[in-house]
Amino acid sequence: MRKVIDSNIENYKNLLKSYIETQDERSLYGVEMMSKSFLKNNILPEEIVNLHIQALEDLYPDLSEEIKHSMNFLLEAMISYGLKHQEIQTLREQQIALKSEISVAASMQDTFLKTDIPTIEGLDIGAISAPAHQMNGDYYHFVKGKNGTLGMAIADVIGKGIPAALSMSMIKYAIDSYPEESMEPNVILENLNRVVERNVDPNMFITMIYAQYSPAYNKLRFSSAGHEPGFHYYAKDNRFEELKTKGLALGVLADVEYQEYELKMEKGDMVIFLTDGVTESREEDRFVEVEEVLDVIRKYKTYSAQEIVNHVYKYFERLQDFQLRDDFTMIILRKEV
Amino acid sequence: MELSIDLVEKSNHLIIRLSGEIDAYTVPKLKESLLPLTQKSGSVVEVDMESVSYMDSTGLGVFISALKSTKENDSHMKIMNLNDRVYRVFKITGLDEIMDIGRSNKVERK
Amino acid sequence: MKPQSSCVTIQKEWDIVGARHVARDMAKTLGFGTVDQARIATAVSELARNIYLYANNDGQIYFDMINTIDGKGLSIIAVDSGPGISDIAEVMQDGFSTSGGLGAGLPGVKRLMDEFDIQSELGKGTKITAKKWVR
Repeated sequence: MRKVIDSNIENYKNLLKSYIETQDERSLYGVEMMSKSFLKNNILPEEIVNLHIQALEDLYPDLSEEIKHSMNFLLEAMISYGLKHQEIQTLREQQIALKSEISVAASMQDTFLKTDIPTIEGLDIGAISAPAHQMNGDYYHFVKGKNGTLGMAIADVIGKGIPAALSMSMIKYAIDSYPEESMEPNVILENLNRVVERNVDPNMFITMIYAQYSPAYNKLRFSSAGHEPGFHYYAKDNRFEELKTKGLALGVLADVEYQEYELKMEKGDMVIFLTDGVTESREEDRFVEVEEVLDVIRKYKTYSAQEIVNHVYKYFERLQDFQLRDDFTMIILRKEV
Repeated sequence: MELSIDLVEKSNHLIIRLSGEIDAYTVPKLKESLLPLTQKSGSVVEVDMESVSYMDSTGLGVFISALKSTKENDSHMKIMNLNDRVYRVFKITGLDEIMDIGRSNKVERK
Repeated sequence: MKPQSSCVTIQKEWDIVGARHVARDMAKTLGFGTVDQARIATAVSELARNIYLYANNDGQIYFDMINTIDGKGLSIIAVDSGPGISDIAEVMQDGFSTSGGLGAGLPGVKRLMDEFDIQSELGKGTKITAKKWVR
């Protein structure tokens, strides 16, 4: 630090001299470059003032006492700014460290929660999940049963960020421990509810839909724990219908029973599941209406299920100026033949 | 957007009037005012939501904590005058069936 | 010859100025440059303000000139019988200064001086030792 100042003292003095004599722009440019290098080397403001005092005294040995005192006064006034500068510097370094820690956690979470989309006979599956911040509080999960059935979950933890993401890992391990294919969707939710109720903070809760599709019967059975309703797209009428479901969110009460619903999928029919990051998204002061989501789906209905969810995501990302306010998750199941 | 909270107290009957938006930023304030009220045994807490234009799921979290607290402390909470959008959040999550909830006393659209 | 050590009792806000004055005089005598004089005075200000604002106006600041083979310097010891600091680590963290509460200026004092040590006991008081060496 001293070295930087010492090595610049002559230079500073010359620039100052030249400026005082001619008021040239070149000296000002010179001092601009010097000030940048001071900043890079963490030179504090009081030291710059001191540098100025030294240069001034060298150039004008008969400098008036008033001016000298006034310069010391300025130096004194700079001390607290110097302190703040150092503090902010340290905080900035801490912030960088924190950010990189979070990004490690986020990539660990991605590995933990990773789920591959299975190949199910006669079913085209698309899924997308994007976090608003680094860590995702939404979750989806697929599993293929021995008899060729599909098990599927979509979930949303209230809140965003790290606490939400931690709760999701718990859900994932709980589901993984169940013999899913031999359990009914409502029983899975009843079990998960007990896990969540016992293990999370009273003001946290999770909403979830669990669904099973059986290719042999073209039937989808599902139960909802307070989750944003899904939609059934009837291909032959080109029409969407909301899936009316009832059920309390996970983690609110200790013992809850869930209802099971069933629907039959015809050729070209789609079932759409989403999280409230989709319907609660706001553009300026306007809420996105569900109709708008469905219109985008309808527009891209000839594409594959994965392409449709990608398009819906892109549409909302643009609507929200590429800064999602909430985690966004959408799954589409389409019966192919 | 801000959330303002007014409290009217008549012995064991407490009315808490909210106006503005309930989201992650205003939730701590709501929690701080609402939870202590539900901790008084035998009290009846009426939450007037007539001027709440928006509530996200973090807001529900506070009402769930408050509900749990009423059960532990033998108090009661009634949520009043919800607009359609806010009511929808309670309905989807199934909370409308376990909480004492009154919809808007303005003309209902359906 | 100036005194080698001195003590200022902090009871009123004006005493903070008195403490700064003593510190600057001793720093000058020891041969500290203008920048370091200003830093020492600011550090003393922070220590004295802590006593004035939070230690029930009950504390002293001791100044001692150090002159050994290791070098010349100024030692400042601030002692009070105030409430004490429960979490020293928290107080010493950057960013805490925004709280404006007890001990808020301490990370600054540590930066302004070369050596810094703090001992505190809840309900009994705090002792802060800081030194700066003439370069």
